[in-house]
This record gives sequence, C-alpha cells and structure tokens, in this order.
Amino acid sequence: MELFKLDFGLTFWMFIAFAILFLILWKKGWPAIINQIDARADLIDKGVEYAQNAKTQLDNARAEAEQQMAEARRQQADILREADRMKSQIIEEARQAAQKAAQKEMDQAKVAIEQARKEAEQNLRDEVSAFALDIAGKVVRNQMADDKAQARLVDQLLDEMASKN
Amino acid sequence: MKQLKVIIFLIFATLTLNAAASSAPAETKEHKEGELDLKEVIFEHLSDRYGWEVPFCHGRTIHLPIIVWGHDGLHVFSSKRVLPVHEGHETVYPVYTDSNTQFTIAQDGPKKGKVVEIVDGKEVPVKDFSITKNVLAIWISVIVVLVMALSVRRFHKRNGMKAPRKGVGAIEALIVFIYDGVIKSTLGAKAKKFAPYLLTVFFFIFVSNLLGLMVVFPGGANLTGNIAITLTLAVMTFIVTNLFGTKHYWKDIFWPDVPLWLKFPLPIMPLIEIFGIFTKPAALTVRLFANMMGGHMIVIVLTLLIFIFAQMGAGVAAGTSVISVLFSLFMLLIDVLVSFIQAYVFTMLSTIFISLAQEEGHKHEEKKADDAEAHQIAQEVVAEAVKAAN
Repeated sequence: MELFKLDFGLTFWMFIAFAILFLILWKKGWPAIINQIDARADLIDKGVEYAQNAKTQLDNARAEAEQQMAEARRQQADILREADRMKSQIIEEARQAAQKAAQKEMDQAKVAIEQARKEAEQNLRDEVSAFALDIAGKVVRNQMADDKAQARLVDQLLDEMASKN
Repeated sequence: MKQLKVIIFLIFATLTLNAAASSAPAETKEHKEGELDLKEVIFEHLSDRYGWEVPFCHGRTIHLPIIVWGHDGLHVFSSKRVLPVHEGHETVYPVYTDSNTQFTIAQDGPKKGKVVEIVDGKEVPVKDFSITKNVLAIWISVIVVLVMALSVRRFHKRNGMKAPRKGVGAIEALIVFIYDGVIKSTLGAKAKKFAPYLLTVFFFIFVSNLLGLMVVFPGGANLTGNIAITLTLAVMTFIVTNLFGTKHYWKDIFWPDVPLWLKFPLPIMPLIEIFGIFTKPAALTVRLFANMMGGHMIVIVLTLLIFIFAQMGAGVAAGTSVISVLFSLFMLLIDVLVSFIQAYVFTMLSTIFISLAQEEGHKHEEKKADDAEAHQIAQEVVAEAVKAAN
C-alpha cells in the first residue's frame, strides 16, 4: 500500500517546517500570549475583587449611615420626650410653687382675718364692756327707783344689744 | 417532506431498473480504455504529487519544483519536465536530462509515481527532497498558523489589556480553550514549560485538517492523512516526553512497583513498559492518520459514485448526483467536526503522555487521577473509533 509508506522527503520537510514554526512561536508567540492572557485574567479577577470590596464597603457604609440615622432619630425622640417631661415638670413645679405661694397668701390672709376678727372681738368686747359699764351705770342710777323698772331696763338693753349684733 | 420522499423513491426506482438492465455489459466493459479506474483516482487524490491542480481548471497543473540528490549531487528542476503527459489514450513519461543525468517518473515498481534517476538504462532511486503538494501544504499551514498566532500577539501588544473581538478573539478563545482546558488542567505548574510545543501541535494539526477539507488550491492536500506527517508529530511528542522525563518516570519503567518475580530475573514488566513507550506514539500516529485519511476517502468515494452510476444512464446519474452531493456535504460537515476533535485529541494525548513522564515521587493520589483521566480519554477514543467505523 502506497499510503502506508513513509516518504523520506516529506518527513524531512515536515520536521524542518515544524521546527521553524515551533521556534518562532516559542520565541515570539505562545509564552507572550499566555502571559498576557494570564495577566488579563488576573486584572479581571482583581477588578472583580475590588468591585466586590467596594460594594461591601458601600453596603457597610450605607448600613452604618442608616444605623446612625436611626440612632439620631432615637435620640431626637428621647430629647423630645425629655423636653416634654421637663415641660410638665416645670409646669408642675410652677403650679406647686404657685399653690404654695397662694397657700402662703391665704395663710397670711387667714392670719390677718383672724387677727382682724380677734381685734373686732376685742373691740366688741371692749364695746360690750363699755355698754355693760354704761348699762351698769344706768342700772345703778335706776336701781334706786324701781326694781321692776331696773329689770325692765336690763332686758331692754340686752334686746337692743341682741338686735344690734 | 412528502415530495422529497417521492423524489427519492423515483430515483431509487430508476436506479435499480437501470442497474438491472446494464449490470451485465458493465462488467465486460470494466478495463477498456477511458474507463474510470476507481482505485487509481482515490489513491491519486489521497497521496502526494509533484503538482497541484489549478482551481476550477481540470487538467491544468501548478508545477512544483523537484529537488533530488542523485549520484552526482543536487538537481533542481520543474516537475513540468518529467510529469506524465496524456496524449489521447497514451500516457507519455518524459525523460529529463539535467547536466548529463537523466530523470523520469517511475511507471512501475516500488517507486511508482516518484522521480528516479536513469543510470545505464536502469531506474535508480534518488534522495527526493522535492517541494511536493504536501510539502507546500505544510508551508501553507505553517504560514496560516504563524499569521493566526502572531495576530493575537500583535493585538495584545497594541491594545494592552483589552480583550480582542471577532477573528482574533476567536483564535484567542481557542488558545485559552486548549491552554486552560487541556494543558493547564493536566500539567498544572509545568503547563508553561510545555505549552508552546502543545499549542503549536494543536494549531498545526487543526489548520492542516481544515485546509485539507478545502477542495481547491490552498487546500485539498491530504496532509494529516499522510503517515509521514502524523509520524513526525508523534515522534516529536515522543522526544519531548522522554527528553523531559523525570527520574521517577524512568524508575517506573525499568524497576516498577510490582512483585519482584515480575521484574527479576526475567524483566517482564520492564519489557512491557518499554514496549509501552513506543506504542504511545504509534497510537498517536495511526489515530490521526486513519481518521483524516478515512474522512477524505469517504468523500471521494461518495463523489465517485456519480461517475460509477453515470454509465447507467442520465436519469441515474442525475439521481445519484443529488444523493452523492448531499452525502458528501454531510460527510464534509462531520469532517469539520472530526478535524477539530482529532487536533484536540492529539494535543490532549500528547499532554497526558508528557504529564505521565513528569511524575515526581510516590503520589498515588495523582496517579489515580491520571488513570481516571486516561480511562476517560480511552472511552472517548473508543467512541470516536466507533463513529469513524460507522
């Protein structure tokens, strides 16, 4: 079979041609191409990693910001509540102070009234005693004339006093 | 669809009728002049020649230079001087005289179709370094591979880290496919050391296979279906494998881990291992050669069917033409696939043979993985063979 015979010239040329092809591509082709492809793959890997990191950082930052916002809102609410509490406390205190002051005033007034009443009582008593002295004077004067008249006089005077008060 | 069935049925009907009518005279006509010698045609297309047919001009030939080393030194002349000329029914074999030495093409004998020297009226074989069709095809493949690889390199140089698109991108994708998928995954850290050789092998075979499928001039040579080419490639893998083999590899060959009686006093295992060194390139040679030659042969035979059935009448010829062309087209499409698969398989097996010779120490785990891989490849190859056989 002709097909299974090894042709010397063809083998020779094949070897030469393949050797030349291999040498050229070995020196100028494949290693450089592979290095470039590897370098690009590295670059892409790094890019992806960088992007992932950036995304994680962004996510973190966003979460942090949200947390801070929530914190701020909470603080705001706290402050408002505190203010509210303080407001009512102040009002309460003021009311209490006012009450105290009013009480004091009232007490003073009471004391003054009491004093006035006592003074009035004293005055009344002084007057009654003056009246009594007056009456006693008149009784003493009328005593001599008639006992009955005396008694009538006393009654009359007492009635007068009662109607007066 | 229905129409197609009817047409096919009609074709077969006429075909069988005519065949029945003309089978008897066809046998008697077989060896007449002008008759088609099928074997000759097939082998003419499959084997190497001194000329290359001009595209779409049957009978016109591109005459390639003949370079021979005769008894008195080097001779270079055009193959136009010696190629046989068809004059009517006669074929004339011209004799060319180049500085007192006569050359012609042998008509018979072991050197049939080759250039021989005539010394004292006898045909004497010469050392033939001619730029034949296949040699030219090798150089065309080399140039195509160079252009492909260097275009990627040039793109990288010009565009930095940018990824190429379109054609250059496709070539790069192929490089990455082979480098990452085959070389790196098998050889690991040593991938870069052997990648230049393996990538060259892959691209050379791939380009040669595809060029071989083209029917006209820059293609059409049955390059990878020639045993000289596949053997040279396999021998180079053999050299790379054994030249860079580790100590452990050689130890495994001459003193493998088997019971003592298997290697001493009768070196049974070492003999088998040494035999194995040589069967690997042989398998590489034959696989590529047989696959590619088979593909070419099937397409040629399918085309020749037209000429065989043409003797039975115009109707049959027309019918056969349609079927032959459809089948040839189908086979050529399969051959495109086979072209890639064979280049891939050759590269993968070369990678595995090299990696087997790169073993260090007793890494049983690794060996197991390699075995599994080899097993997988063996299965693939068997599947391939079954497909090729079909």
